Amino acid sequence: MFSEQAAPTAQGLLAPPSAEPPTFPRVPVSGYSDCSQPFQLGERSFSRQYAHIYAVRLAGMRPGLERRARSRWGSDIALRKLSELQAGEKCCVVGTLFKAMQLQPSILQEISEEHNLVPQPPLPKYIQPSDELILEDELQRIKLEGAIDVQRLVTGTILAVYGSEQDDGRFLVEDHCFADLPPPLPWNGPSSDRFVLLASGLGLGSVSGEALLSTQLLVDVVTGQLGAEGEQSCAAHIARVILAGNLLSQNTQSRDTINKAKYLTKKTQAASVEAVKMLDEILLQLCTSVPVDVMPGEFDPTNYTLPQQPLHRCMLPLASAYATLRLVTNPYQANLDGVRFLGTSGQNISDIFKYSSMDDYLEILEWTLLAGHISPTAPDTLGCYPFYKSDPFILTECPHVYFCGNAPHFQSKLLQGKEGQRVLLVTVPDFSATQTACLVNLRDLTCQPITFSGFGADSED
Amino acid sequence: VTYKWLSYTLGVHVNQAKQMLYDYVERKRKENSGAQLHVTYLVAGNLLQNGHVCHKVAVVREDKLEAMKSKLSTIASVHVYSIQKALLKDSSPLYNTDYDIVKTNLQHCSKFSAIRCAAAVPRTPPDAPRAPASAQSPQRQRDAGAAGVVNGHGPPAAKPPPQQHKGIMGMFAAKAASKPQDTHKEAKAEAKEAPGVSAASSKPPTKNNIMNNFFGKAAMNKLKVNSVPEQPKEEKEVVKPSVAVAEPESSPNTVAEKPGKKTESARIQQKDKKSKTKRADRSDDEEERDPENVKKKRKRIKQLQSDSSDEEDVPPSPTPEEERAPSPPPVPALKTELEPASTEGSAGGRKRKRKRVLKSKMFIDEEEGCMGKTG
Repeated sequence: MFSEQAAPTAQGLLAPPSAEPPTFPRVPVSGYSDCSQPFQLGERSFSRQYAHIYAVRLAGMRPGLERRARSRWGSDIALRKLSELQAGEKCCVVGTLFKAMQLQPSILQEISEEHNLVPQPPLPKYIQPSDELILEDELQRIKLEGAIDVQRLVTGTILAVYGSEQDDGRFLVEDHCFADLPPPLPWNGPSSDRFVLLASGLGLGSVSGEALLSTQLLVDVVTGQLGAEGEQSCAAHIARVILAGNLLSQNTQSRDTINKAKYLTKKTQAASVEAVKMLDEILLQLCTSVPVDVMPGEFDPTNYTLPQQPLHRCMLPLASAYATLRLVTNPYQANLDGVRFLGTSGQNISDIFKYSSMDDYLEILEWTLLAGHISPTAPDTLGCYPFYKSDPFILTECPHVYFCGNAPHFQSKLLQGKEGQRVLLVTVPDFSATQTACLVNLRDLTCQPITFSGFGADSED
Repeated sequence: VTYKWLSYTLGVHVNQAKQMLYDYVERKRKENSGAQLHVTYLVAGNLLQNGHVCHKVAVVREDKLEAMKSKLSTIASVHVYSIQKALLKDSSPLYNTDYDIVKTNLQHCSKFSAIRCAAAVPRTPPDAPRAPASAQSPQRQRDAGAAGVVNGHGPPAAKPPPQQHKGIMGMFAAKAASKPQDTHKEAKAEAKEAPGVSAASSKPPTKNNIMNNFFGKAAMNKLKVNSVPEQPKEEKEVVKPSVAVAEPESSPNTVAEKPGKKTESARIQQKDKKSKTKRADRSDDEEERDPENVKKKRKRIKQLQSDSSDEEDVPPSPTPEEERAPSPPPVPALKTELEPASTEGSAGGRKRKRKRVLKSKMFIDEEEGCMGKTG
């Protein structure tokens, strides 16, 4: 989309200096509102048990699931709780899924002395054929078997199963369904071309510096310094930049101060300090020219549990002087020019990847949307705040753009729902590995990857 | 030489810099002067990759330019990126040049860019902490009109911080001139007396010894925020005449500065425990004695305090400005009191003794401080 508009004046700058070159004003963002209040934690107290979050999750999703079940299997089916089950009767049960996995890292096993086990090294996938699915509701649990894909599903999903209880106490599943896409939001998209740049995994502070030139090129394109006039005028249509997590690289995570003696590490600084300074400079360059939303990621200096709170502005003294910088939570939800964005920095998707047979990040992203929950594995295998009043990760409205950061490749898909929902699913690739970012066009919900490269010691092919 | 470096160094628009580079290359090549120039270009365009139409932006060497251009299905832009005499092995010198020049010009990095953003207006420091509290930043981002409002709001609130800094200079100039200790002590005495005792600073010399105890007392009494504005008000009244004795022109600065300082020392009292307030007290005294280290220490404390207590500071600091008007009337009344106090030529000996006492205490405290740090 950039290129077609820019092509006519492509060679314009291969000429002697002309008169005063034009400057293009950035398109103003007229309709921005931040909707991520449910993800902002006020006072935090960790004195509660995590069982409450499952209870509110089930209570919150039960009505929707019952509706879906009725529409799918007939409005006269029996909806039963587990305690009311009778053997042999075909009925529908709504509950939380639990997957008993042998390879799942368990802290209890690790610290148990009688086993004398070495802690399990992290595996890419923890699934095994011997995994079992168990359905739990408020009071009881029952083992599931039958027409249900054990490998694919993960703990914490709320679903409705249709089948009957067997004599041996297991539930034979004939069919199951999820909450499906939430109700659609009205579409008030812009009428002219307007872009949002999605990037993630800038990976500053890493030992290798190849990605630095690409990062600089990205900043230059967005701020309008690179490119001929046509490209610069297109870049002026970039209304916003969203940095979806992992601004610092994994290398900054080394905690020498814990392992080494204090006298060795007294004068050393954490690697993340230098990286944050670099981040501040890059953000300053961006903020002088475009509104930026910064989401924290797995390796960023903020809390570990989801929802991650925004980075503190005292870490970015130069950039936070500008009103165009917004430090936001992970997950992040906002209305941009009438288009609803919802996205995470990728921890939820990569966690599901580890515990499910689904391999494609886009597939997992779509599956979470259909399951109606951003991060079903949340308290089980992914750190989460112990919510007890309501679960903010339940999807109540269907976003227009649903993205996840730090994916291995760029993928995008436009999903059409039964009730008229249109969702653009985008997996934003890790910039430090792929030097690719995404440009989303708000007018027609299309997405284009944009790649940067310099030239290295070896010749280009 | 990259186009960005040229643009910043010559102060021209980036597009003009690119054109200048191109022109230079053309001319040099026509002259056939023999010195070989190596040029790198920036190419951008559409490329079919993995089934997507991907927009690619690449920096390429001249010899690879045509190859890259043929790979792209549509070319969006081509321009000169940089010129150098030697053949570059990789792009890190380009990156380093750009990085250095941007670093030296961080504040104006969008000045020569082709895109102007109306919403990118720097927030003034007191607004920055206010923004999360009031959650108004989306509005501020929006248009230049709002930016005007921001700026209008900004300068009055921004006056106290710069004045505080100016006040430091003013304070030390005052010190060089005449008796800052008196003003300091008197101001301190005022600060300490204000919450509990009456504002009359009749015996500042003796108050000095009681100051330390008072700090402790004050810490335990937990000075409230609304008592602090009273402190600046009263301190100002005291400080103003005393400084007027020393240096009339720097009085508004020191006035604003002293309340700021005192609010900070009050903060220090409020927040720290008794021993720490003593250290802060000592450090305040140290600041008097030693301008060099003091300035740094004061700035550090000031920054710590300003970061943590900005919201609280902002309401008190505008009030000193307003209250400057009522202060002149009480000035003459207090001046008479302070005249005898300030003309302490007779009490010079006592001052010296006090200095000695304080200094020794300072050493003790420094030692305490050092030990505290290593412990």
